[in-house]
Amino acid sequence: MDMRSANFPDAHPIISLANLSVGYQKKTVARVPSLQVERGQSLLLTGASGSGKSTLLFTIGGLLKPLAGNVVFDGHDFSQLSTGKIGRLRGERIGFIFQDVHLLAGLSVLDNVVLGAFAVGKRQERDRAVELLQIVGLQDLQHRKAETLSRGEAQRVAIARAMLLQPKLILADEPTASLDDQNTEIVGTLLVEAAKHTDAALLIATHDQRLKLRFVDHLELSNNPIAGSTQ
Amino acid sequence: MNDFKLVGSFILRRPVTWLFHALSLAVAIAVLGSVLLIQRAADTRLKRDLAGVDLVVGAKGSPLQLVMSSLFHVDAPTGNILLSQAETIRANRLVRSAIPISLGDNVGGVRIVGTEKAFGTLYGAELSSGRWWDKTMEAVIGAEAAERLSLGLGDTFVGDHGLMPGGQAHRDARYKVTGILAPTGAVIDRLVLTDLASVWAIHENHHHDGEAKDGHKHHERGNEIGKKDARQITALLVQYQSPLAAAILPGLVSATPDLQPASPAREALRLTALLGAGSNTLTLLGTVLLALAAFGFIIALASAVASRRRELALLGALGASQSHLLRLTLIEGLVLGSVGGAIGIAFARLAAASIAATGLGGYALPVESFGQTDLVLWSGAVALGLLGAVFPGLVAARTDIVRSLGGGA
Repeated sequence: MDMRSANFPDAHPIISLANLSVGYQKKTVARVPSLQVERGQSLLLTGASGSGKSTLLFTIGGLLKPLAGNVVFDGHDFSQLSTGKIGRLRGERIGFIFQDVHLLAGLSVLDNVVLGAFAVGKRQERDRAVELLQIVGLQDLQHRKAETLSRGEAQRVAIARAMLLQPKLILADEPTASLDDQNTEIVGTLLVEAAKHTDAALLIATHDQRLKLRFVDHLELSNNPIAGSTQ
Repeated sequence: MNDFKLVGSFILRRPVTWLFHALSLAVAIAVLGSVLLIQRAADTRLKRDLAGVDLVVGAKGSPLQLVMSSLFHVDAPTGNILLSQAETIRANRLVRSAIPISLGDNVGGVRIVGTEKAFGTLYGAELSSGRWWDKTMEAVIGAEAAERLSLGLGDTFVGDHGLMPGGQAHRDARYKVTGILAPTGAVIDRLVLTDLASVWAIHENHHHDGEAKDGHKHHERGNEIGKKDARQITALLVQYQSPLAAAILPGLVSATPDLQPASPAREALRLTALLGAGSNTLTLLGTVLLALAAFGFIIALASAVASRRRELALLGALGASQSHLLRLTLIEGLVLGSVGGAIGIAFARLAAASIAATGLGGYALPVESFGQTDLVLWSGAVALGLLGAVFPGLVAARTDIVRSLGGGA
């Protein structure tokens, strides 16, 4: 199924997928015949558990190699790049938000926000990090240790971290899993705001029905790896 | 944020485990370090006390005993030799200098050495106060001896017969302190020096009922040490005129009745070999401990890397390169080696200072101040920390990011 012409006709996509098969150890869990996403656009990847949402997200982010097909990010064909170069590209231009938050417990909230810049050896703009913490409503907690945060607060720190280097793409894997309704609302709003703030494309993998209402473009993956449909 | 801050946060999450491994490295370094420091101190002391003496000429007996008693002043002499025989050797053109010494008495356990003023030059000794003796029964005291005996310029004392305290006192002959030597770090610091004539005078005028309890033998064979026609000394400390002397003089001495030559260098080697067995065992123990410590912290680092798999995966997901992940583990090894090494050196110095203060059979050792040995030990510990971190670091660098972040199937 080709989703390109119907939804994302722009000539300069941030992500371009062609005949993509994703999975682990040669076992295909999802296929996407064609997909293009532009800067500023948001797309929800939905589907049941095991349908390959996270696998597709990790593949788009260059953390997994596709079993077949191509991932082109911002004009860079991942199949032509080394793991190290893909890693650097990911660090500099993709904001990743993980399901289990993954803050470094021994560090302060502020240090966790600048962690992405540190990882790729970029200048750690702490003023900008404080500004981002203000956006996510946690400026007062900047010196707190990450392990003292609630799950909702930690997810907001992860969003601030994803925004630090002005990414062109934000990938969020089940960002509202195990959050209550109030925090889901906050995190959902912040993700949209974060994408707007940095003019990034936003891809969210989720099976959270509460998020589906907020996004127009969906790519639904089914447990049948051949299937994939957009709304 | 920097690598050290991040590694510090890793360490502080498991401080007790980390400290345990730093301490096991420290113990190994301490054992090795203290053995090394004591060995070096003993070598230094040995070299200083040999004082450039090439040959000791004394009464027949054990050559090691002759050297120990005449140069290190820690054993009983082998006996006495005739001054006239010593003078013959002294006159040999192969001899650059020859200094006679005469032992036999002590004051408060400090040996009284009858000798010549040139004895001081052997050790580079200089007076810190007073003057050298001008006449009999005047004495110059080494710095350590003066402190131990609480003697100052102008004070008088009597010598006891023998080389250990408790012998019969020569009450009718008092020495007067005319000079005190500056510290040299050599055996002369622990001696009382006087001229040969004083020793002879005491023994010409004084007789005892029996032998001293340390086997002191200056009454043997009816040759009283002080009789003018048969004056005796304990040993002659000889420096060669040329290397040729080493080939000829010992033979000449051996050929003289009642005399034996002893090479201080050779006897010092024998002594080192005798003591070496103990220090070799300690060195082996230290090496085994070091190997165990290295193995221990390789396991500890590997376990730490495994326990922070998610953190490392997060850094990888955020764009950190494999070399960066390797570097973080190497830094942890570096910190572990540095801290363990520093603690180990501190322990080694404490142990060495305690051993040196106690002394080995009254033979005090000058432990060197902080320097090359400590740097070598510390560098070794750091290198060991780095080497031990290589394997865990490679494991860290190859962390499977997706699986570690819970995304694997």
